[in-house]
Amino acid sequence: MADMTAETTATRQVSFSALRPSREAVVGTLAVLAFLVLWQIAPSMGWVNGRFTSRPTEVFFAAIDVFRKDDFLFHARISLTEFVAGFALAIIVSIPLGVLLGTSKIARYLIDPPLMALYIAPTLVLLPIMVIWLGIDMAPKIAVVFLGAVFPIVLNTMAGMSEADPRFLRMARSFGATKLDIFMRVLVPGSLPALLTGIRLAVGRAVLGVIVGELFVSQAGIGYQINLYGSAMRIDRLLVYVLIVSAFGYTLTILVRSVENRIRDWRSK
Amino acid sequence: MAQIEIRDLGIDYRKPKSNEVFSAVDNVELSIEKGEFVTIVGSSGCGKSTLLMAVAGLVNLSRGSIKIDGKQVTGPGPDRAVVFQEASLLPWRSVRGNVKFGLEMQRWNGGDLNERAMQMIRLVGLSRFSDYHPHQLSGGMRQRVNIARALAVDPDVLLMDEPFGALDAQTREIMGTELLRIWERHKKTALFVTHDIDEAIFLADKIVVMGRNPGHIKEVIKVDLPRPRDEAILDSDDFHSLRKRLRAHLAEDMSSMQLVKEVA
Repeated sequence: MADMTAETTATRQVSFSALRPSREAVVGTLAVLAFLVLWQIAPSMGWVNGRFTSRPTEVFFAAIDVFRKDDFLFHARISLTEFVAGFALAIIVSIPLGVLLGTSKIARYLIDPPLMALYIAPTLVLLPIMVIWLGIDMAPKIAVVFLGAVFPIVLNTMAGMSEADPRFLRMARSFGATKLDIFMRVLVPGSLPALLTGIRLAVGRAVLGVIVGELFVSQAGIGYQINLYGSAMRIDRLLVYVLIVSAFGYTLTILVRSVENRIRDWRSK
Repeated sequence: MAQIEIRDLGIDYRKPKSNEVFSAVDNVELSIEKGEFVTIVGSSGCGKSTLLMAVAGLVNLSRGSIKIDGKQVTGPGPDRAVVFQEASLLPWRSVRGNVKFGLEMQRWNGGDLNERAMQMIRLVGLSRFSDYHPHQLSGGMRQRVNIARALAVDPDVLLMDEPFGALDAQTREIMGTELLRIWERHKKTALFVTHDIDEAIFLADKIVVMGRNPGHIKEVIKVDLPRPRDEAILDSDDFHSLRKRLRAHLAEDMSSMQLVKEVA
């Protein structure tokens, strides 16, 4: 009886908040609107030079231009290909590696220090080497995406595996669990949230890898376009591309986080 | 012959830093009959949990032997199941999923897993909560799940390591009565570790009193209180005199501890 009432109150609260936006949403929206208005009028008021700042309306029309002409899809496809290839490679390599490191102490002692060093160092510094090794096509960018994404996933998977609750392991052993049982039924489900955290962190680093890689060496791609419009002083178009990149990274991160939260639900204590 | 035979048992540990060896349990001799409810009581550090874990096959013996139905214990086995101190329930599994865990590990082939699990969940009175996850349950409910999980694999011997230690006094009393109700049905051999004197008497056919440095058995006390028992028994004269006897044992242990402290 008691928890039934609790349930109805909870539902009621949810429906209320759907009707009436939260204070957080109101304040957030107002802040964005205020910023847009300020940005729009600042050049006309002579506060800033419009040549350097552009205006929201200009960016809006530039966006229409970019999507209609400007080979947007061509460039987006190249950047996306680099991102997906690098990220997929990172996942294929990092999950088994993380599992190995998380379950074997010896492997951990062996690889942990260099791994940490590479994780902390900005992997973008390796870009010049990648160019020498792999040319200026998509390959060096894929490599940089891979290097950016691989470490957060390895380290988080490793942590998730090696920090498994020893009480769970003992409990499983008391029921005669084999090593494989413990791995499949305790370690894997237990480290899933950590793995997703790793993937979420990797998304940001991978997006950065693609764009910065393209800024430096490329003949096409979103980063190439940003560079192009930057040197041509086309701030409006440049900002369109910047917004596309950030929307892409933001959406992916939110997506992973929502999966993460659903899985973490059972951990919420 | 008794169902569980513990002979000349000794368990040594190596301290992690100093490499010094100390005995957690030494010279333990104990026989437990089939269907007996035995409680092990003693102050902390007397090796009572170590003894239980040895019977579970989860720690290595340094000396002596443990036999169950004549067979040497060398590791965990389907003839035994452990109810741990903290719930140790897998947080990503529902109540039913947790109760099924032991069955899955032991490759249970006595029929449908779900049905078996539900049967056990009904037994501990959690039918309405079978789809809940551990974080949605109270401490007492979690320990019910823990008991259901152990009973599900139908062990000959039920090993319980202070299962109600983290619960408040009231819940603890309810859980004790509940445990006896469940136990009366199957009369499985039960080994129950606790530091709570009342709990030790209330549940037991036989109380094993342990002392420290190294962990050893001080006395084995038979409890002849009639069954089935309920809380009313806590006020009986027999109960009082047993309580007095146990108190004296534990007080002795405490004072010797004090002495060690002063010397050090």
